[in-house]
Amino acid sequence: MPMFDTQVLFAIAGIAVVGGLIGLDRTAVGQFMISQPIVAGPLVGWMLGDLRAGIIIGVVLELIWVVDMPVGTFVPANSTVSAVSATAIAVLGSHGVATLPVIGFSLLLTTGMAPVTMMVDTVIRKANSRLVFVASAVSAAPSGRTLARAQLFGLMMFYLKTFVLYLLFLPAGIVAVSLFNHLPEQVHRAMSLFVQLLPFLGVALIARRLSIKNIDLFLLAGFMIAAVMVRIFHTPALIIVLLTITGGWLGTRYNGLWR
Amino acid sequence: MDYGDNKIGVGDLLGVFWRAFLIQASWSFERMQSLGFCYAIEPVLRKLYPDQAEYEARLRLHMDYFNTQPYLASFVLGATIRLEQDRASGRNSAADIPGLKAALMSPLGALGDSFFWGSLKPFAAVVATALLITGSWWAPLLFLLIYNSWHVGLRAAVLFWGYTSGGDAVELMAQYRFTKMAKLFKVMSLSVLGGILGALPVWRPEFRPALNIPGTLMALSGLALSGLALTVVLIAILRKGGSPIKLMLGLAACCLVLAYAGVI
Repeated sequence: MPMFDTQVLFAIAGIAVVGGLIGLDRTAVGQFMISQPIVAGPLVGWMLGDLRAGIIIGVVLELIWVVDMPVGTFVPANSTVSAVSATAIAVLGSHGVATLPVIGFSLLLTTGMAPVTMMVDTVIRKANSRLVFVASAVSAAPSGRTLARAQLFGLMMFYLKTFVLYLLFLPAGIVAVSLFNHLPEQVHRAMSLFVQLLPFLGVALIARRLSIKNIDLFLLAGFMIAAVMVRIFHTPALIIVLLTITGGWLGTRYNGLWR
Repeated sequence: MDYGDNKIGVGDLLGVFWRAFLIQASWSFERMQSLGFCYAIEPVLRKLYPDQAEYEARLRLHMDYFNTQPYLASFVLGATIRLEQDRASGRNSAADIPGLKAALMSPLGALGDSFFWGSLKPFAAVVATALLITGSWWAPLLFLLIYNSWHVGLRAAVLFWGYTSGGDAVELMAQYRFTKMAKLFKVMSLSVLGGILGALPVWRPEFRPALNIPGTLMALSGLALSGLALTVVLIAILRKGGSPIKLMLGLAACCLVLAYAGVI
């Protein structure tokens, strides 16, 4: 099967267009969180016909990047580009349903791409200062029209940034996946384990940010509730989530934290 | 909302509310949100200052550096509109509007970052992640619903609050109890995260490592405890420094070593 048939090329172009729109939500428009991996990953997976790959990638990347905050001038890693790219590379590189090793490899690839996305984000924000339209809005007689033009140009810059990144990342990733498929079995097993261990890294990253303790009491309480309920009483996930939320709420209420 | 000839109505504020969603469209290191702020407030200034020269002067004034948490910027917008209206109508000609913006942006930035990015977003994300792990396709929609019911609701509320209070941030904090709510969301997030650790190997087979380790560790309970132990070790490593990217690459290297050592 050819690596880049017409269907794959159309899919790459489609993901670049949609991914660019999703990326606008990240900084430029609204910040409704459509750009979060937990939404973007499953959405792209569903578009390409492999929802499972999108769910796994969305879950893993959401846990890892959710507490990376855009505070002040700090530009965090672009988790949207990571989620969209990893899902598209895994599915398109597999020509169908992505296996766990391919998902792991795609996640690793996009981890390597993360510093590039940070660099490009920084360049765009610097370039925004020098936009001709922005400059005219500031220095010459400002008006609603010049401001609207500056805003539109800023939006275009943010859109084009991610659009071009996808056009570069996706074909490169698909080529890398085809090379990965020829690597020894041990590498494939390693990538499966990599996917399985990443949620623990994600939980650690969030727990470290939310609590000052290495072993947080509420983390342990939630663990105990879920471990007992799921194994002994076979409780459905929704009930377990509600129980852990209630446990946290009661703990805050009666542990002197609600003051 | 009517002072003499300069009428600012609910419709004008709603116009600002919609435009405020683009406050970061031309975000730059130099001016940050200043152009977005101007874009949001421009129709109100046009209405308040029919004189072209004064309108341009007021617009240029608002192009000074401005940066705060993008959602709570709506509070500053509301307060600024109120003061501009008072100034235009002659009720308060000496209103120090740049001073008000400068005084509000830093505390609101810190408050908003801590509440929205540091507690509400992780809470909505971990709840949705826990449900998505089990295959609930609607979990991303739940995430958007939890987050945006606060986000969009507060954007609208603080805009009107800023307008009616004229920028009383102390009253805003007392009303919405951001710090307490942030604490609550953080604790509930930690509890749900613990739940994810406890149930992960049962909820999704893809996250159940097939390690060639004999004995009880193969049991699901053992896997859950191993996961908890691994998480605690990773937290300890993170406290000593280390970025997510480096840790992900390190984890991949460890997996390769385990694979070639025949452990998996």
